[in-house]
Amino acid sequence: MGLKSYSRGKAIHLMLVYTGGCNGCDIEIVNCVISPKFDAEQYNVFLTWNPREADVLVVTGPVTRWNKEPLKKIYESIPNPKAVVAAGSCALMGGVYKNIHGDIPSEEICGPVENIIPVDAKVPGCAVRPQDILAGVVSALPKLLNAK
Amino acid sequence: MNEKNKSNQEAIIETEVALGTVHPAALEPYRLRLFVEDEIINDAEITVGVNHRGIERIMEGLPVEKANSLTEKVCGICSNAHIWNSVLVAEKGLEIDIPPRASYIRVIMEELERLHSHLLYLGHGSEVLAHETFSMRAFYIRETVMELLRMIGGNRVQYGVSIIGGIRPRCDLDDGRIQKISDGLDFIEKKVADFADRFVNDLIVMNRITGVGQISKKDAIKLEVTGPTLRATGVDQDFRKIMKEYQDFDFNVITLSNGDVKDNILARVLEIPESISIIRQAIKNLPNGSIVDRSWEMSDTDIIHSHIEVPRGTLYHSYKIEKGKVRGAIIRTPSMSNIGAMQLACIGNHITDAQLCIVQCDPCFTCTDRAIEIIDLNKRID
Ligand code: SF4
Repeated sequence: MGLKSYSRGKAIHLMLVYTGGCNGCDIEIVNCVISPKFDAEQYNVFLTWNPREADVLVVTGPVTRWNKEPLKKIYESIPNPKAVVAAGSCALMGGVYKNIHGDIPSEEICGPVENIIPVDAKVPGCAVRPQDILAGVVSALPKLLNAK
Repeated sequence: MNEKNKSNQEAIIETEVALGTVHPAALEPYRLRLFVEDEIINDAEITVGVNHRGIERIMEGLPVEKANSLTEKVCGICSNAHIWNSVLVAEKGLEIDIPPRASYIRVIMEELERLHSHLLYLGHGSEVLAHETFSMRAFYIRETVMELLRMIGGNRVQYGVSIIGGIRPRCDLDDGRIQKISDGLDFIEKKVADFADRFVNDLIVMNRITGVGQISKKDAIKLEVTGPTLRATGVDQDFRKIMKEYQDFDFNVITLSNGDVKDNILARVLEIPESISIIRQAIKNLPNGSIVDRSWEMSDTDIIHSHIEVPRGTLYHSYKIEKGKVRGAIIRTPSMSNIGAMQLACIGNHITDAQLCIVQCDPCFTCTDRAIEIIDLNKRID
């Protein structure tokens, strides 16, 4: 293990982007970092809101029309190497908003997240469980740590 | 920007600080524009609409049962309140009387949800105050509530308890579950009392939040503020007092007088024991009998309205049923009416307190993004 991966492994910064889901997933993700029960900080995982500091981008929600450009910009401003975790059924397949076929389909949903930025790990669930989030983030880590 | 400043540009320098839509200081995406002079906010403007998913549109033409479970996805914080109110609309229209046991279990769920929402508010508020220890403590207590909700509903966020005619069979309460609820309540009550004790005795925190973001009673009534934010300004109004589901329970409506950040936080802290007392009364007197009435028949109805009191204020749903399908749904969430209060609370405060003033009104911008579409037909033609 090189010095870079060693130091990266000691401070993994998650950035949470919220693209128009119902809030359920976001609170669960914040919960799994801040709440003493899950306490991801003990595994050197920290929550940040600054894309320049972030290593892992966690995206929730079905990406509404207004959130499409900001999401792309945020993705671009994260320095390499980066990993993207899509969390929740909204982020994976547009969720209930895209797939509940009523008389008028919603034109607001541009998701799933895959259509907009490349995704490395997918965490299913509506809402995602905190344990699954941690597992998802861990499974995306090799991409970060093995990068040159 | 007021007129005086515009005409007198050299003398007074007014700057605009724009935050958002995605900004480190705010958890949810919304756009906030602050017009500041030195450090003091002269005017604030909140723009929502980024999260608009068009739930009312998607609901159009869905079978009623499906539409009910879709309303749950309006908001991840008060999901139970949305499905409950949506089911109540259908029950009112189809004239269904639900069994008393089901009504009690719905009340228990709603009060548990109130606990979780208020504790989330305390956690989020402390985080904005940059007091991480309090925030972690609030999240720690909240975890117990989440476990109870998961036990009853089977999921930590979207529980799906109410169905037309009662509640889902998997959400019935047996003796084991009731025991777990009452153990959990004892724990929460003790921990919240400790938390409140520490909070009000912390001089630094108290100095930081007293007198910040004040809203007067008059303004609150004028802006149609709802929920604990209204009660913190001294207005004694709680929809639960007139809801028929709550008639069997004995509880106090908490009112405070200042309407600043401190009173807003204290109002929520003081509402927690009241909710705990409602749940205790409900599990003590839980009626026996069936939990779902399946003997109803679908028919067409007029437009039906329903209001309930949810953790953050008054929630309104309305739709009409046509051949078993939903038509013309309207949802009005409490944060929608509280936006005015958020803007007003910012004015006159330091720019560093802006976020605090907004968070004190317990915003949930996800459920706030409701559509109002105004189409000018004449303009379209030319
Ligand atoms: S996946 Fe479910 S809980 Fe998560 S944001 Fe979407 S609707 Fe909400």
